Parts: sequence; structure tokens; C-alpha cells
Amino acid sequence: MPILEGKELRIVGFLCNWCSYGGADTAGVGRFKQPTDLRVIKVPCSGRIDPLFIVKTLLAGADGVLVSGCHPRDCHYTEGNFYARRRLEMLKRFLPIMGIDAKRFEYTWVSASEGQRWQEVVTKFTEQIHELGAAPKIVGAEAEETLKLMEAAL
Amino acid sequence: MAQTKFIKKESLSAWLEELGQAHTVLAPRFEGDSIIFRPYDSEKGVFIDREATAPPKKAIFPQSETLLEYSQIKDMENLTKIAIDVKETIPTTTYVVFGGRPCDARGFTMFDRVYLDGDQVDVYYKARRENTCFITLTCEKGETTCFCNAVGSGPSDPDGSDLLITPVTDGYYIECVSTKGEGLLASSLLTDGSSMEGEATKYKQAADASMNEAPDFTGSPEKLLAVFDNGPFWEEMSDKCISCGACTYLCPTCYCFNITDEANGLKGTRIRSWDNCMSSMFTSEASGHNPRPAKANRLKNRVGHKFSYYPDIHGGVISCCGCGRCIKSCPVGVDIREMVKSAIAFVDPTAKEVPAEEPKAAPTEKPAPKETSVKAENTSAKAKKNKKSKKPASKKKGAK
Amino acid sequence: MQNLEDLKEQVRKALPELDVVIGWTGGYDPLHATPHFIRRDEDIDKLQVNALCVHNLATYLPSMRGKKVGIIVKGCDSRSVVELLQEKLIDREDVTIFGFGCTGVVDQTKIRRIVGDVGNIDSCEVSGSEVKVSASGTEHKLAMSDVLSEKCATCRYPNAVLSDHFAGAEITSTATFEDGYKDVVEFEEKPEEEKFGFWLKEMDRCIRCYACRNACPMCVCRDHCVAQSRDPHWLSQEAHVRDKWMFQVIHAYHLAGRCTECGECQRACPVDIPILLFKKKMNKEIKEVFDYEAGINPDATPPLMTFKAEEDKITERKW
Repeated sequence: MPILEGKELRIVGFLCNWCSYGGADTAGVGRFKQPTDLRVIKVPCSGRIDPLFIVKTLLAGADGVLVSGCHPRDCHYTEGNFYARRRLEMLKRFLPIMGIDAKRFEYTWVSASEGQRWQEVVTKFTEQIHELGAAPKIVGAEAEETLKLMEAAL
Repeated sequence: MAQTKFIKKESLSAWLEELGQAHTVLAPRFEGDSIIFRPYDSEKGVFIDREATAPPKKAIFPQSETLLEYSQIKDMENLTKIAIDVKETIPTTTYVVFGGRPCDARGFTMFDRVYLDGDQVDVYYKARRENTCFITLTCEKGETTCFCNAVGSGPSDPDGSDLLITPVTDGYYIECVSTKGEGLLASSLLTDGSSMEGEATKYKQAADASMNEAPDFTGSPEKLLAVFDNGPFWEEMSDKCISCGACTYLCPTCYCFNITDEANGLKGTRIRSWDNCMSSMFTSEASGHNPRPAKANRLKNRVGHKFSYYPDIHGGVISCCGCGRCIKSCPVGVDIREMVKSAIAFVDPTAKEVPAEEPKAAPTEKPAPKETSVKAENTSAKAKKNKKSKKPASKKKGAK
Repeated sequence: MQNLEDLKEQVRKALPELDVVIGWTGGYDPLHATPHFIRRDEDIDKLQVNALCVHNLATYLPSMRGKKVGIIVKGCDSRSVVELLQEKLIDREDVTIFGFGCTGVVDQTKIRRIVGDVGNIDSCEVSGSEVKVSASGTEHKLAMSDVLSEKCATCRYPNAVLSDHFAGAEITSTATFEDGYKDVVEFEEKPEEEKFGFWLKEMDRCIRCYACRNACPMCVCRDHCVAQSRDPHWLSQEAHVRDKWMFQVIHAYHLAGRCTECGECQRACPVDIPILLFKKKMNKEIKEVFDYEAGINPDATPPLMTFKAEEDKITERKW
């Protein structure tokens, strides 16, 4: 059993290639201490992120999803993050109807030079997810098994 | 003489519990506003007063089933060398389907001709078929959408069932229809039923009498072939169809499927899942060509298959059990009876004589160099008609 | 019904210039109507317009592009036509819109809940305040308010928002936006686990027939839907509750800022899954954040297809 099992939750991060991925790299190069729950997926731009990526990730069992792009007006492609902002805001507001806590998803902006800020964002988001605990996981093709587990957990 | 038994109404749940010890009992119950077959749960009870919204098709033909599981094993010495481990998954669970209607059970007899008879047997279907018993309930009365009496059946038809139960005073009269059914009669809750026969017969007669007049489908195989190339006819028939799969997935006789590999990392499963001829993807070919590009082509196939192509190769049996679900669950009220009747009544004003055997392209249409719309299907459909084989060569769809 | 006679007259006059006019007529029993494609003069006599005409006929328009089509619309249906125009999926000059003042349509599920067995309907009489149904010889008098579709009870657009012909008098509506979303608010107040469990249970019986998608006037991808695409592989073909649920979220999201809330998805569902709730939730948020409603103004741009550098109502969360 991995050492961190039970301690670490599964958090997925979608980071844009130009700013936030660079910011995370800066944090790494600067040897800033960060929690290790986050797994990063690099995308060309926050505008590339279909909000459904996030829903799929959450339904597949992720405990949290973090999206980070360039600051508004700083997008490498000029306006990708403006579109992203609208879409992601809608998603954040949509999640509760599914029974998924909106706090399991956050979107923010981190530039390539903001290593310090990246460290803060990751730390804070990881703490937030740990406060919520593990998300309910869908087990098996039929709903019955999951429902029983959920009932037992209450 | 077939065995007959009687069970008291209040003993029914105890009997289902008993059966549940050895089998998974599927019985209809309300879920939301729909009546669905679910594993029997004494707390939730059963609801058998009306035809279920969805038939118990999934007992033998699940919405999706695993055909095999595979995993790829990498050779650590030589990472380009990958071995594949394949595991066949033949289902072993035994089912008792309780409270279906005669049409629900009879639907599987249409499957049998395709999946069991002939030179190739579908092992997955066979296993499930053998592991499933049907305890069918005689209908009290027909609904407006019922037309089992038009397709060679009726509200107390035991065809395809193992036990047929008929409501009588204070309980149910049970008739054993098959040897498989005999195995379900061991319970001490069941008493001799011979004294109830008269009452049960009366009930069945009343059910027969309650049916609407059966639409006459005589001659449907030839008549549907005669309008095969009539594009405008089918376009009008399919006007309101929205090309969804509600009719096919709720149909007790629709047996087509798709096979896909669903991979997850180095492991995966090959699954067989329901597919339907209303979907454009159903006939979409790897080249990008689609012989049934429009909803008219697809609806024609659904009607034609049930009332013409299937009877053609299976001794005249219409591949429809008359349950009426396709009519009442259709979001836009497409009525298969009307379509067949229209085809039968259709008189081509342009043709002197309707060719009986080989339908040719309608003479009024010029031979378009680029095949489009309804006409494009002609060749493939003919090929299918002549081919008795029910197994597709590729890992594509179900039988025709 | 005076409306109906006027409407028939308008259709009769317009028909020579049109390939087809889409309306409704009687269905398989007296309780059901069905879409009706009017091509010939004699088809006009079969036209039916009443509370049983539940179908949103705008669904047929995109696939009939290039033809001269007349369409009879309820207020809600007209919004779908407008949205299709907004997205340039149909051509204004090819579509003739016949509007009328709509007093609402029934919810067949509600009728089934009250009447029980609707398998044998002998007769059905619809008036403004009542639906009289005779089922298997038993007479049921249903108050219209008990069987009215939810969307109609809180309808704000009973008259076609865009029409070339209009039959009868306009209907006035006093409903507010908030009235229509009380169910969303109520559902959302439940604990997260309960909501999650609710959807798992409901989605479980989905048969993946995609009637919800095909009945939707805004689902225009149809034969190229991601639901069945292998590449990209959004969904497995497995009958997995996760995939069934995922599709509903895909549907809701692909309709964000486009959905006109006609409710066809839920009405079409053969196993009665309350999927409209997802779309209503999205619409509620779209209205709150962008003050926008789909299918009102043919010249408006749906909010997710544009942006503002400084958004009015999206506040950056401080991290």
C-alpha cells in the first residue's frame, strides 16, 4: 500500500501552457514546498478547457479539480481566458444541482512569474478539498451499489 | 397433461422470496413514474396491474454485456513485446422473470431463431436463455396500443413462457408450459390448481374479447418490398419520426447490437451493447459512406425488418409481438400499425404491375449517377435478404 | 375553438406557397395528439390545436432547411424558432410562423398519475379549465391546473415571440422569472449526498435511447453527437450510470445559453427521468449572471459565445 493512501486525495489540475504551467514550474524551480495531491494536465490555453472535462473528471472519482490560466487581458491568445471565465463560472454554479459541492472546483489565474502565488493556490485548494474529504465514488455500472455505500457512510 | 397449480394472493411475495434464494428474480415495480423490471425486493413489492414501461429484455439481452476481458502484459525485458491475456466471460446467474406479459416472453422466441437456430449459436445469449425462466401473467385486457392478436398471439399466449399464471379468485392459477417451468413448482406454497381451470379459462376468454379488432397485416412481406424503392412514400411515413431509439430499446423483439472495446489503461473489456437501426451510426461504414443516410431509410428498415425481411426467412413469422410500446412511448406518436397498413394499401399510380420478386428502382426516377437517399440502400438490403446468415462478418451490428 | 378556425384559414391561404406546414392532429387515442405534416388541402381539416398538442415542432426545422416550411407554434416553441434563427441554423425567409395565444398544454405523466390506467381511453374533452377523460369506462374530471405542464403554469411567453400570422387573441401572463425556478431552488437546498444519490437512482433506468436529444430543437448535431462518437471518446457504450449521467450534463452544457426550456427532453423520455431540471438550473444561472434568455431576440448573441473584458457579475475569487 502506498504510504500516502488514505492521506492523499485525488486532485486534478488543468493548467494553461503559457502562464500557470510556467508558474507551477517557477514554484518547483524555487523549491517552494507544496502538497502532492495535485496531478497536472497541461492544456494550450484555459480556453481549451471544455467544462465537461471537469464534470467527467469529477464523475470519474476526482475529489477536486483546479483550473488555472493566464490573468484576464494577459492571455497568450488574447481572449481565450475571457471565454473560459464565462464557461467556468457557469460550471461552478451548475455543480450543486448534481450534488457535487461547488468547492470541489475552483478556477483562478496564475502567471508564469508567480511561483509564490502558485504555491499559495495549490496549498489553499488542497486544504479546501481535505476539509471536504473524499468525494462519493460511483462504484459499478448500476447505481445500487453506490447508493448502498453512500447510505452506509451516513 | 401439463401440471397446474394454485397460489394464494397473499403467498405470492413468499413464493418470490423462495425463488429468490436460488435465482435473481426480476419483477416490475414503480420507479419514478415508470414501471421497470428490477431485482425483487419485498419492501418495494411488485406492480403487475399494467404492462411495464420497459420489457424485461435485459434479463437475456442486457443493455450492455461483457464478452471478454483483456489485459496487456508488458515484457519488462523488452518493452515493445506485449502479451495479451484474454478472459471469456460467460454469464452464469440464473434469472426468474416474474410478471411479464405474454408479449414480453414471446419476444424472445424472435431472438431464438436468430441467436440459437442455425449453424452458429451465440454462446452468451444461449447461456442467459437457458438460465432464465419466465413466469408470465395473463393480461386482464388489451390496451388501445395492443395488437398481439394481429401478429399470431394473444393476451394469454404461453409461447416463450415457462409458467403462465392467470388471476382467479383469491390467487393465481398456474400452468406449467415448459420443463424449465416444472423446476419452479416445488414450493409448498403451491397447491393443486385443477379446480381453477374453468375460472381461468373464462378470464382468458374475457381478455381475448377485450382486444381491439386486429389490424390485418396479411401480405405485409410482399407489400413492404413493393414499396421498398418508393422514396416519397417512406419520406411521408417518417415525417414526424425524430430518429431516436425509444421504440427499438423498448421493443421486446429488437435484438441488434454493437460491439466495442472499452479500454482503461492496459486493461479493457469487449462489450456488446444495444444498438438500433434508427441511429445514423448503425449503418455508417468505415469509408464514411452511409447506406441509410436519412431517417426515412432507417424507419423503413425497422418496419421492413419486422414485417417483411424477418418473416421472409423465418417461415412467415412477423418479428413483432404487438406489445405496443413503440407506439405509446414514441415521443411523437409514430404508429407502426399505420405504416404497415399504409404499405399494404399502397397502390403505385405509376407502375402497371408491382414486381413481386425483385424490386427494381422506381421507373419514374432517372438512374442518378450518384446514389442518394432511399435508393442508395437498395443493393445492400437485397444482399441482406438473400443472405441467411445471421452473424455479421465484421465486429459490427446484430443480425438481420 | 375560434383560434383553430382562424388558424386553418391562415394555413389554407399560405399553403400554396409552402412545401409543408407542420401542425398537430389526433394521435393513437383521444388523449394524445401527434405532429401533423400538412401538404394537401384536405390535411388542413385534420389540424388540431389544443392542450394535448405538447410537441415542439421546431425540432423538425433544421433538418428541413432548404424547403419552404410553415410551422404552428406555441409561445415556448416560437422561442426555439428564434434561437435557431439566432444561430443561423434556419433561414428566416424559408420559414412561415403561425402563432396563437396558448393557454398551456397538459403533462401526460401527471394525467397518468391521477388516472392510473390510461391504456384504454374512450374519450377526452379539453376545455380551458378542465380535461374530461373517460378511461376504461370510468369518467375522470381533471382540473387543468392539476394536469398542466409545469412550464405552462409559470409561462411568461404564452404568445409567439415572433410570428408571421397570429390566430386569436393574445394571452396575458403575470408570471415572473422567479416563479418558474422555485423547483430548482427547492431541489438545490437538499444536502449534496441526497442530490447525488437522487441522480444516480434516476439515471440508472436510462435506456440510452437519446429521445431527449432527438426531441430537443436545439440539439442539431444529431447524427454526429459526441454520445456515440468513438473519437473523441467521451462516453463508453457500457450501460454505466456514470455515462448515462454524463450525457445529461453534456446535453445541459451544450445548451447553456441556448436552451429555450420547451421541456421536450423530459417529455420525450420514455422512462420519465426529470432531466429538465439540469437545463432549468443552467438557465437560471445564465439569467442571473448575464441577464439573458435564449430565443427572445433573433439578433442577440448567446452569452457563452461572447465575453466582456470586465464582467458585470463575475467577481474574481481571491486566492
